[in-house]
Amino acid sequence: MRRLIIALIITAICIPSLILAEENFLEAPIIPGAKVVKKTETRLELKINKSHDEVVAFYKSALKGLKDVRYREWKKATYIEDDSNRPWHSITISKPEGDEGTTVVILKDNWTWIMGTLILRFIGVFVVLLVLFVAMSLSGAVISRLVKRFQVKEEASKG
Amino acid sequence: MTFNEILDMLRGIIYTTGVFHFSFKLVIMWAIGSFFIYLAIVKNYEPLLLLPIGFGIFIVNFPLVPLMGWTHGHGELLRIFYHYGLEWEVIPCVIFLGLGAMTDFGPLIANPKTLLIGAGAQLGVFITFSGTVLAGFTLKEAASVGIIGGADGPTTVYLTQHLAPQLLGPNALAAYSYMAMVPLIQPGIMRLLTTKEERRIRMRQLRPVSKQEKILFPLVTSAIIALLVPSVIPLMGMFMLGNLMKESGVVGRLTETAQGSLMNIVTIFLGISVGATMHADKFLSWKPLLIFGLGLVDFAVCTAGGILTVKAMNLFLKEKINPLIGSAGVSAVPMAARVSQVEGMREDKTNFLLMHAMGPNLAGVIGSAAAAGMFIAMFD
Repeated sequence: MRRLIIALIITAICIPSLILAEENFLEAPIIPGAKVVKKTETRLELKINKSHDEVVAFYKSALKGLKDVRYREWKKATYIEDDSNRPWHSITISKPEGDEGTTVVILKDNWTWIMGTLILRFIGVFVVLLVLFVAMSLSGAVISRLVKRFQVKEEASKG
Repeated sequence: MTFNEILDMLRGIIYTTGVFHFSFKLVIMWAIGSFFIYLAIVKNYEPLLLLPIGFGIFIVNFPLVPLMGWTHGHGELLRIFYHYGLEWEVIPCVIFLGLGAMTDFGPLIANPKTLLIGAGAQLGVFITFSGTVLAGFTLKEAASVGIIGGADGPTTVYLTQHLAPQLLGPNALAAYSYMAMVPLIQPGIMRLLTTKEERRIRMRQLRPVSKQEKILFPLVTSAIIALLVPSVIPLMGMFMLGNLMKESGVVGRLTETAQGSLMNIVTIFLGISVGATMHADKFLSWKPLLIFGLGLVDFAVCTAGGILTVKAMNLFLKEKINPLIGSAGVSAVPMAARVSQVEGMREDKTNFLLMHAMGPNLAGVIGSAAAAGMFIAMFD
């Protein structure tokens, strides 16, 4: 009897976590019926025999009402990105060409992405001002030369 | 009429006054509003903005005042200013039109190298972004807090309204407060990061800039910004239009209006609308305090970023640049350039850095707008 009670308690403790494990990964919903292809602490790859549009429709309804979630349509995938502080960072839904099923990849929110994008954007500011610097140097040189030539001509015509 | 009926009537009248809706939080907000009014009047810190902002904070924090809400489906007075001015992102752009009409880009055109200093001075914007995320803000909020270090009020208001309108009040307040405190914040960092010899570097007098170059500048800049960071073209386009109006010399009346009356009118609406967003219920939390703390760090790192960029450039340049002008890369035109001048003269009374510092100062305006554009592109 005691063993049965212990087994029941363990089951009762484990069941919710089992259900949760199937329902979400890092609070990102998992589409029902998907098979886990690969799972690490930071990445979950799933495969499902549903079309891309069906998977996207599931995620759109599951994430409905969540603030700061952005959808991007890429050529080979739909990319869902979280811009707030949720544990997951992105959900990538592949656009399969044949009947191979749709792949869903959920990634953990990470500092590599934040630092990467910040460094790139900081460099981007330099690039913008560098292009402006080059354009100004060139236009400055051309205009200065033209103005000087014009002045010399004017002086010559006066003299 | 019975005595009880008279009492009920009196009670009804009294309940329409604010007295019975009073709370201690409101008193704190009156103190905050009064503090900014004090800074504007007594200390002369950015009075054109801090005075209407302070009054906005003060006046919206009275109970039952019909200023920022909705009555019968219509916005109340300050709500209308806020809605059409800030939610529609009109005011920051019109202010940039006026700023453009006031600005002489000659020092920047004469020494375009200083554009890179304006880029380097955005370092704090990106560092503060990560610090703000660590503090628990969302990415959009972090971007809007980060831009405070750019020390450019209209850009801060524009980006915050775009990404995190709930932080508009504290962000604008922090930006304008720190802009006013440039002479207090920057000198220590400037002295810490430069040697005496560096502070004494003399720079060659800037070449004269032709009118043709000045006319071409807004067109070239608009084209480059529109191509590379299109998201900030409402802001930069208006800035460059104002400058083109000024430099062309053919629309004197428009230039005068843009830099005078129009600028003054929108400044009133900007100040009062920003102040009005700071109701006790929204403002009294840990976030504004953190924003002020992070904003200060941001400002300091941006100052350091500008100075370090000059030092890095000096490694490759034959004609050295005085690193004191690096701090002017944080915009805050022309206050930051004046600080460079004062610090330069402290070492050598005959070394005039003001015009040299105006280059990075103006580059800072373009740099912070570019940084804002990078953030908008990140989230849109």
